Amino acid sequence: MSRVLRVRLFWAAAAVFAVAFAAACTGLPRFGTLSHPYGARAIAAAFHQRTANTVSSVNFDQRAFDTLGEESILFAAVLGGLVLLRRARDERLGGVRRGRVLPATRLFGSVLLPITLLTGVYIVAHGQLSPGGGFQGGVILATGLHLAYVAADYGVLKAIRPLAVFDVADAVGAGAFVGLGLVGLAVGAAYLQNVLPLGTFGQLSSGGLVPVINAAVGLEVGSGVVVLLAGFLDQAVEINSPDEQDNRTGR
Amino acid sequence: MSTANLLPLGVAIPLLGAVVLVLVGRRLPRVVSDFLVTFWAAAEVADLMLLWMRTGDGHAVSWLGGWRLQHGESVGIVLVNDRIGIGLALLTAVLVLAVVAYSWRYFEEPPAGHAGTFPALILLFEAGMCGFALTGDLFNAFVFFELMGAVAYALTGFRIEDPRPLQGALAFGVINSLAAYCSLLGIGLLYARTGELGFAQIGQKLTGHRTDALLVTAFVLVLIGPLVKGAVAPFHFWLPDAHAVAPTPVCMLLSGAMVELGVYGAARIYWIVFSGPHGIPHHVFRDTFVVAGVITAVVGAVMCWQQRNLKRMLAFSTVSHVGLFLVGVALLTPEGTAGTALYVAGHAGAKAALFGVTGTLLDRYGSVDEHSLYGRGRELPFAGVLFVLGGLALAGLPPFGTALGKALAEHSAQSHAAWLPAVFVLASAATGAAVLRAGVRVFAGAGRRPRENHEVPETTGSGEEPEIRDPSRRVPLPMLAVPALLLCGSLALGLLPGIGRQLAQAAGLFTDRAGYVGAVYGYAHASAKPPAADWTAEGIALGLASAALAVVFAAAALWGAPRDAQSVVRPLRRLHSGHMGDYVSWLVVGIAVLLVAVRAQL
Repeated sequence: MSRVLRVRLFWAAAAVFAVAFAAACTGLPRFGTLSHPYGARAIAAAFHQRTANTVSSVNFDQRAFDTLGEESILFAAVLGGLVLLRRARDERLGGVRRGRVLPATRLFGSVLLPITLLTGVYIVAHGQLSPGGGFQGGVILATGLHLAYVAADYGVLKAIRPLAVFDVADAVGAGAFVGLGLVGLAVGAAYLQNVLPLGTFGQLSSGGLVPVINAAVGLEVGSGVVVLLAGFLDQAVEINSPDEQDNRTGR
Repeated sequence: MSTANLLPLGVAIPLLGAVVLVLVGRRLPRVVSDFLVTFWAAAEVADLMLLWMRTGDGHAVSWLGGWRLQHGESVGIVLVNDRIGIGLALLTAVLVLAVVAYSWRYFEEPPAGHAGTFPALILLFEAGMCGFALTGDLFNAFVFFELMGAVAYALTGFRIEDPRPLQGALAFGVINSLAAYCSLLGIGLLYARTGELGFAQIGQKLTGHRTDALLVTAFVLVLIGPLVKGAVAPFHFWLPDAHAVAPTPVCMLLSGAMVELGVYGAARIYWIVFSGPHGIPHHVFRDTFVVAGVITAVVGAVMCWQQRNLKRMLAFSTVSHVGLFLVGVALLTPEGTAGTALYVAGHAGAKAALFGVTGTLLDRYGSVDEHSLYGRGRELPFAGVLFVLGGLALAGLPPFGTALGKALAEHSAQSHAAWLPAVFVLASAATGAAVLRAGVRVFAGAGRRPRENHEVPETTGSGEEPEIRDPSRRVPLPMLAVPALLLCGSLALGLLPGIGRQLAQAAGLFTDRAGYVGAVYGYAHASAKPPAADWTAEGIALGLASAALAVVFAAAALWGAPRDAQSVVRPLRRLHSGHMGDYVSWLVVGIAVLLVAVRAQL
């Protein structure tokens, strides 16, 4: 197809799509009504399970099986990333050049790194009480670690980031979620049923299985993002493609 | 273990297996890790086999997390299925087991330091496909749809040394992700209207609304995901590009199970969510998707015949067959559904076997080009026999399972339109003939030596990297034994009368919306009488006719006068440009056409 034809075809079809979707939106419930069929049920169920954060209750208790799938997607994406970003036969490891870092940046990073990590742990641990949870906290943990790259250089990041450990932690987190589901089956309840003691509403230990699954997800997401970013960073910083090798040797 | 718990285990077992392989795979010698993955694949087959037997002629229902219905409403997810969905999951599990065995001596060089990654990805793929087949919840289906997508993109691009797999994986990923967004938009519309996510629950709530613009748009958008996964024209462009470059074991899964899951998803979602009162009327779905199926079957068959890259040829044959499957389920009859179920199972065996044999060629000669391999396969007579048998099975030679399934679907199609069986016969004959032509050329060196034609740009399939490193060794036993067993399976489906009857019974349930809803809501419902699923004289005759036609076509190509049909098919070939922008345009055009077509028929 020629470029003109392709673009015209696309816009003609997109116009039909837009009209249909706009017409569909007129059939949606009005904004600001009081009827929230699923929301009302989910809040009641979250209260019954003594989980203050209803979103966490939906994600890790009421519809935990969806989250198991989502978390497996991340696990698969990390493995897929490892496969696609591995060093090809014609790629060579180059040395990492030390970057120059402003003293202010270095200070900023050194101070914020532990604070960010602490925040990440807090967000993971309080998922059943307040906005946050394993996914959000895990991402904060992983980004916190990468402050080392910003504040120092790649060598320092590599030193505080033993990839083999994170690989294992990623898998352990993913496995823990699947395994926690089996607890329900072991005690004669349903798969992923919240069979742990529910605790007191509003306490850190409330919600039964919710904080435990949150911890597993936090571990998986944090390590998974580190491993995935490592794959990309290696490609960008350390690995030279054949063309680059040619350029460096001046051919 | 109760029947209900076998359903979530069908997802949990492969997930756990993947984790174990990632954890221990790199520390173990190859043999042990091969044994481990085989163990997990076999455990999944056992779980689903048990589920199949326990479910019998009813539904298996599992409320996850124990969130059962209270006052007719639930906040949780329900897995619910009959033997059609469970059978598809079982078929997937059996294929995975076959693929795992096939890969024992495959991939001598897994990613350094991550030896368990490839089998772990295969198991994750299995979890996604089985979850999609077993679930009774629209959003949950979307999640598993995404899981199988994410894994499939990575597996397609597995051989990173070559740019082609990466391009194929990219087209696959982009088109399927766009389709997933469409599905998600549609799910959002349905959720906003009903506040429900279960198939049955949405369907029940929708009966209280009119058939309006929201319903039509939601219907089309939700179905786009499965239709793209199912490679229905004009959403099929990604498939040949991905199949031609993916590692052979992955192709076996993509063609044998994943694509068919798209058709299953579209049919299941229509039946349970949209086919109720005030939904999308039967005649609209039937007329729209029978036409879409016929177009897909014809495009796939014509393109299949044109290919010289064996993997691309098999990929287009999958497109063609998927068109026939879509016609079969879109007839909305128990007989058409039963026939399609059998056809899918028989096709999976034959197609996976063909890919397997092609893998031995790639392994040995570093090429999948029909022309440059001319006569070189003479030293592999057994592989040649398997390849030709696979071609005949594709063409629908009785008593292969493909023939029985095709016969049932044709019989049902005939009562819809008298010319439809001709499409079945011609499409299966053309795809079978292409395989026979290539098989005889490669493995017997018969016919004229193919001329090189440099006027038309072609995907030849030569100059591929062999997927393993040592071409001088003998062909490893599993690489021929697995295709042989798969063909035997396809044969058994046609010969053992029990399987056909069980699937016919299940098809009766599949096409009975009230029965499915009753199973979810927990009230009994009298099931309809199952259709007959036995060989008939007419079915055998049509099967023999398409096999004979395939032989005639192949012989004409090999020994007949060379004919130049390029002027007719060149425009069609040009459409398969490999340009991502084209594919995206076609995706949007397809959506627009469906929106207009459905709206116009109301």
